[in-house]
Amino acid sequence: MISLIKKIGRTALGIKIRSLSGFKPILFNLNFINKSLSVSDAFCWRTDNNFKTFFKFTDLLKFFYNTQDTAVDLIFYNYKNIKIKEYRISNLKLSNEIIIDKEFLGGIEDYGTFYIYHNKIEEIKKKIIISNRCYVGFSKNDQLPSFLHGNTLVSYVKNNENNVVKDKMIINTSIFMNQIYRIQNYFHKLDKVELFFCNPSSSKIKFKINNIFQSLNTGHSIIINATNFDHINIRSNCHFLRPLIFSYKKNFIDVYHG
Amino acid sequence: MNFFFGIKTNDLNCDITIPRFQNHGKVDLENIVFQAKINLNKWIIQKAQYKENKNFFFINNNYIDNEIIFFLAKEKEILKYKKTDYQNILDLNKFTDTQPAFRANLKIFNKFGGFSSYQSEYPYSMIEKQGNILSPLSSLGNSTASENKLFIRNIYVKPIKKKFDIYFLDIKKKKILFKKEILTNTTNEIKIEKKYIKPDIFLYTNDYIGIPLFVSLKDHHISFEHTHPPHEYIISEDKFKTVAQLKREIHDIINKKNW
Repeated sequence: MISLIKKIGRTALGIKIRSLSGFKPILFNLNFINKSLSVSDAFCWRTDNNFKTFFKFTDLLKFFYNTQDTAVDLIFYNYKNIKIKEYRISNLKLSNEIIIDKEFLGGIEDYGTFYIYHNKIEEIKKKIIISNRCYVGFSKNDQLPSFLHGNTLVSYVKNNENNVVKDKMIINTSIFMNQIYRIQNYFHKLDKVELFFCNPSSSKIKFKINNIFQSLNTGHSIIINATNFDHINIRSNCHFLRPLIFSYKKNFIDVYHG
Repeated sequence: MNFFFGIKTNDLNCDITIPRFQNHGKVDLENIVFQAKINLNKWIIQKAQYKENKNFFFINNNYIDNEIIFFLAKEKEILKYKKTDYQNILDLNKFTDTQPAFRANLKIFNKFGGFSSYQSEYPYSMIEKQGNILSPLSSLGNSTASENKLFIRNIYVKPIKKKFDIYFLDIKKKKILFKKEILTNTTNEIKIEKKYIKPDIFLYTNDYIGIPLFVSLKDHHISFEHTHPPHEYIISEDKFKTVAQLKREIHDIINKKNW
């Protein structure tokens, strides 16, 4: 009986029911991908409050598949999911770095998300799916940036008459706010704590942080002050909702994913 | 089952905060923190030294070194070690087998107030394996920092402290630039000179795997993060074949002793 239920749970209908109900959902749904793709995390950027964001990435196609003349497209959105910049980097080295500051973003002092997609993936003669987890560093007041790796698989690119468009289908939501994520750290003796959330799904998400209600439309992001909490419990309808954590003490900061 | 470890250096201290709860909220109050350390070719298992509250265990710098590993278990589960004559690290329970991964906070800090941390774990599946680490140095090495350190943490199932080699390689020129012997079951510290923080330079280990941890220091500020293994960048079915081919090519550089 149990094996029959497990078999049903693995069918397309079963996966849909698990997703909608939030009962043992698949965190990253990649089953629908049937061609070569470059999958991106939703990376966070900040230029508010004297922040600069450093972004480091490897040319995966050159590194793994020896593809030449590669390029990546970076697409930047503000916290309301409005596209503010597209940026192509060609002549890639194996390891690459850019600095995202207010000058790079045309004077914008704000925060939001960005995505990286590798070009030329279609030239490889077999189906490959790559995900560049990359490293993002946050520097405040021009001090040493605090680096962390990518947080979660979010979107893949599809070509649309040579325009790069963002598509989001990897992380799903359930009908109920029954997904619990409790951050496994104790927040004490800190001057300030901020949680940086972005909505990684294609639906509006609702969530509670220690019973404080929030909602985010798709692609939107928000920075929430959590200084008064010593523990952080997130209840949501999103199958994978994990914030970046900015901890402050005196003039030092520590940034990591929760 | 996940394990936790620390870092001990002259200029950095370290704290580990281990939650009593899974990230979906489930708690098991019977679990406590044990530690394992090698002595005379056996694993010595004992209750760790820690403070606690209802949600966390706190292990401070005084009880951390570069050899001890920590894990959550029940008193009665530890008895299983006797049956193996303390010759293997054991996969005692499933409490830390969660998705997303069960993690502890590993924080390093200096006497000036600088601090940096990440949510850390060393899964049992890695403990049983031998292999290689391959990781770019410039992803987390910072050429504008005053100092860059690399820590390679290996945990191996057997109670052995065996030497193995770490290399810095220019994979474009296919040249070895740096070589050092490090130890299994140890957090190994390696200073990264700035001349090695370049796009084509990668670290590579022979024989044993582990977690590469990068620390950058400047004006008392600290950045601390780990890199991922290469197969995590490929989602398609070719991932292990593609990474194995790449590692074979890199292993050729080592075999040819091409300095």
